[in-house]
Amino acid sequence: MPKSPRPRARFSFSPTVRALLLAAATCGAALPALAAIEHEEVDKLMQAGKLDEAMAKAEAYLKDKPRDPQMRFLKGVIQLDTGKRNEAIAAFTQLTLDAPELPEPYNNLAVIYASQNQFDKARAALESAIRTNPSYATAQENLGDVYARLASQAYSKALQLDQNNTAVQPKLAVIRTLFTPTPPGAKPTALIAAAPAPAPVAKAAPAPAPAPVAPPPAKVAAAPAPVAAAPKPPETAPAPAPAPAPAASATANAEVESAVRAWASAWASQDMDRYLAAYGPDFTPAGGQSRKNWEEDRRARIVGKSSISVNIENLAIKVDGQNATARFRQIYRADNLNVSSRKTLEMQRSGNQWHIRKESVGG
Amino acid sequence: MAHSQGKRRRLVADIVRQGRLQHPLFRLRSGQQLLAALAAVSALMFAAPGAALASNAAGKTAKTSGSVHKEKTRAKGPAANARSTARAGAAGRPSSAKEAKEARSAKSRKAGTAVVAAAATSATAARTTRKPAPAGAIQEASNAEARLIAVYEMFGRGQTRPALAKARDLVRDYPNFQLAQLVYGDLLAAQLPPSNSLPDTASIAKMRGNPAMAELHEESKRRLQALRDRPPANTVPSQFLALSTRSRYAIAVDASRSRLYLFENSDKGLKLTADYYISVGKAGTDKVTEGDARTPLGVYYITSSLDPKSLKDFYGAGALPINYPNPYDVRRGKTGGGIWLHGTPPQQFARAPLASDGCVVMANPDLRQLLRKVQIGATPVVTARSLQWISQPQAEKESQSITSAINGWKDARASGNEAQLKKFYLPDFQRSSKKSNEGISVVDDEVKYAQGKRVQLKDMSYLHWKDGDDTMVVTFGEVFEGEKSGRSRRQYWLRQGTDWKLFHEEILG
Repeated sequence: MPKSPRPRARFSFSPTVRALLLAAATCGAALPALAAIEHEEVDKLMQAGKLDEAMAKAEAYLKDKPRDPQMRFLKGVIQLDTGKRNEAIAAFTQLTLDAPELPEPYNNLAVIYASQNQFDKARAALESAIRTNPSYATAQENLGDVYARLASQAYSKALQLDQNNTAVQPKLAVIRTLFTPTPPGAKPTALIAAAPAPAPVAKAAPAPAPAPVAPPPAKVAAAPAPVAAAPKPPETAPAPAPAPAPAASATANAEVESAVRAWASAWASQDMDRYLAAYGPDFTPAGGQSRKNWEEDRRARIVGKSSISVNIENLAIKVDGQNATARFRQIYRADNLNVSSRKTLEMQRSGNQWHIRKESVGG
Repeated sequence: MAHSQGKRRRLVADIVRQGRLQHPLFRLRSGQQLLAALAAVSALMFAAPGAALASNAAGKTAKTSGSVHKEKTRAKGPAANARSTARAGAAGRPSSAKEAKEARSAKSRKAGTAVVAAAATSATAARTTRKPAPAGAIQEASNAEARLIAVYEMFGRGQTRPALAKARDLVRDYPNFQLAQLVYGDLLAAQLPPSNSLPDTASIAKMRGNPAMAELHEESKRRLQALRDRPPANTVPSQFLALSTRSRYAIAVDASRSRLYLFENSDKGLKLTADYYISVGKAGTDKVTEGDARTPLGVYYITSSLDPKSLKDFYGAGALPINYPNPYDVRRGKTGGGIWLHGTPPQQFARAPLASDGCVVMANPDLRQLLRKVQIGATPVVTARSLQWISQPQAEKESQSITSAINGWKDARASGNEAQLKKFYLPDFQRSSKKSNEGISVVDDEVKYAQGKRVQLKDMSYLHWKDGDDTMVVTFGEVFEGEKSGRSRRQYWLRQGTDWKLFHEEILG
């Protein structure tokens, strides 16, 4: 089965996405570099801890394209990583002025302010991030941390307690890039798909047969008309040679499905051992968290709930050799929360087991 | 091109998924979750006007049929609207009926303890004379308090975000207003997901359990109660039977409501012009002995105004001593002194309802208002456990017996009938005066002083104080025929059976 676009049926435009499309359209000129290879290189250098090299590369790039938001953002993150807080503040602040529709710079400003104990400024920045993009989860979570700290401060003022005794500093999550590099293979397809000219791959792709598990498309009519985004010029990104996926066997699909359902059931029954075991050894938590921290975080978020239910709807599985992607709507209820969101699990086979390699929201 | 549109969507989807939504949306908060969480966790349930009033009403309804009537009448007033919207808002827009139910039961559970108790304290006062509050149940209050109340009201209407913003402004302007900080903290905490994973959740829970929180909740409750249950229109505290226009202002303190009422006095009578949150003694009211940390109950006068520069920071913007112990207190053997109305220390905008050693404590901005208005020696201060409010005709009716007693006293003196005049004095009568009058028989002195001349009594003030005994503090001036002025007196009368007897007199000048 080729890397076919998912049936549109399962994909309606959330307001966020539309806002993004708009943003992409309005600052299209400023963001031609969605895929610029340099961004990825800088990002890789950063991940490798080669901050000086990353900085040099970023600066060289910015000499040519001084307004490029992605690279300016990366530079800000490097400044943050190298302890140049004031420079980072200046960089992110300027980005919020030049590209107010981007939540990431606000988020990172908040991270810096919070680290300076300026929680009210952090709050204001995060609220701007969320105004920009209401479903922006990192900013939401950071805002939760900041609200908790502000609440704690207000309570100690109410009680006239010594405020120095408040223990741990909340640690807010830094966003590392505006648009993180996508896993190999995925982005090129997307890029070409964005090209107005019919791309060869798109042509070659046969009309996608509905994935076996997927329910019949129902949302086609309901999907709002997409915003007429200005067509982007095709990028010079290397044309992908999408390896035609081997025919997905029904058994593999069934295995993946049962792995996904086992994962959800472990989560819902708050069985942390089974839940964490669903994640493979090379699973990388989002946001640059360490596996250990991530596990602790998950444990805290799951075990504390009085009850959890996780339902999976519209599960679509795509198997590609040893890899598989499961996309579905996740309906999560816990205590008073009731959140429905798109979820993508990238799975990897080891033996006859499938493990989660990457978990992401959206898609 | 439907096909490529689909792909474009996917491009964006990839951006969203990978670039922006790196964390699962477990904690995505929508409006409804927020409110449900709020209803479940927020200590504001104590404070929110909706909650307070609703449970108040519930408490009263359960109590007497009389209060059922009151509740009904109030339902016509604006307060009732505020309540019903508040109820709708606080229970508010929950996503399911179950949540709404939970929210409501959480509310009533808490209200069941705290609010009803307060209602009971003031119910005795309220039940007898209280009528529906006049229009505009929330009156103009001191700025900080009015802003706090506005936060409550917004919260009650479900406008959590604006309420949070207003609370933030309030604590920015009044960082030492502890109750405002609590409300701000509550509003922030209400935004948090029901999770225990945040670094601060433990400390928040710990501080919520701090016993000192109870004092702040009490303060909140009393402020709200005083602002919701307004004195009935055209009534005055029952102690003010008559007040000469020489007293341009009058002060009445209702300890049960932690409230000081300021009246302006004119030939049209007393008019309530402002009221303020106050604190009284740690051990409450009814001072008996020195050091009992209670605030005296009775009718007093402001005796001086102390320069704040001469005071410790602790007393804030100034201090207005009152004449505790007054002659009636002395007669009953009460001890202690140094009872002042004073301000708050710099680090506290307001103090807890029961906080002082017996003084009446006000926020500094409020005290400054008072300082501009009081007249030394002429501004009466009533301190009551709980004020009763009476109409003008009722006040006139209640002053009839003392009026006739004073006229009797005046006539006996004018006629020179010492035996008759003596009947007006208790054996242990005492007079205090600037002039020494030791060894002088009062009756003798009065007869000589009057010399049979016709006398007019003017600027009559009757302050009525009733506890175990029935007493009247009468202040007046006397003008003899053919003269321009005479003595100015303050007399303390005690009712014995149906007769009023003098037990103390001060010659003021």
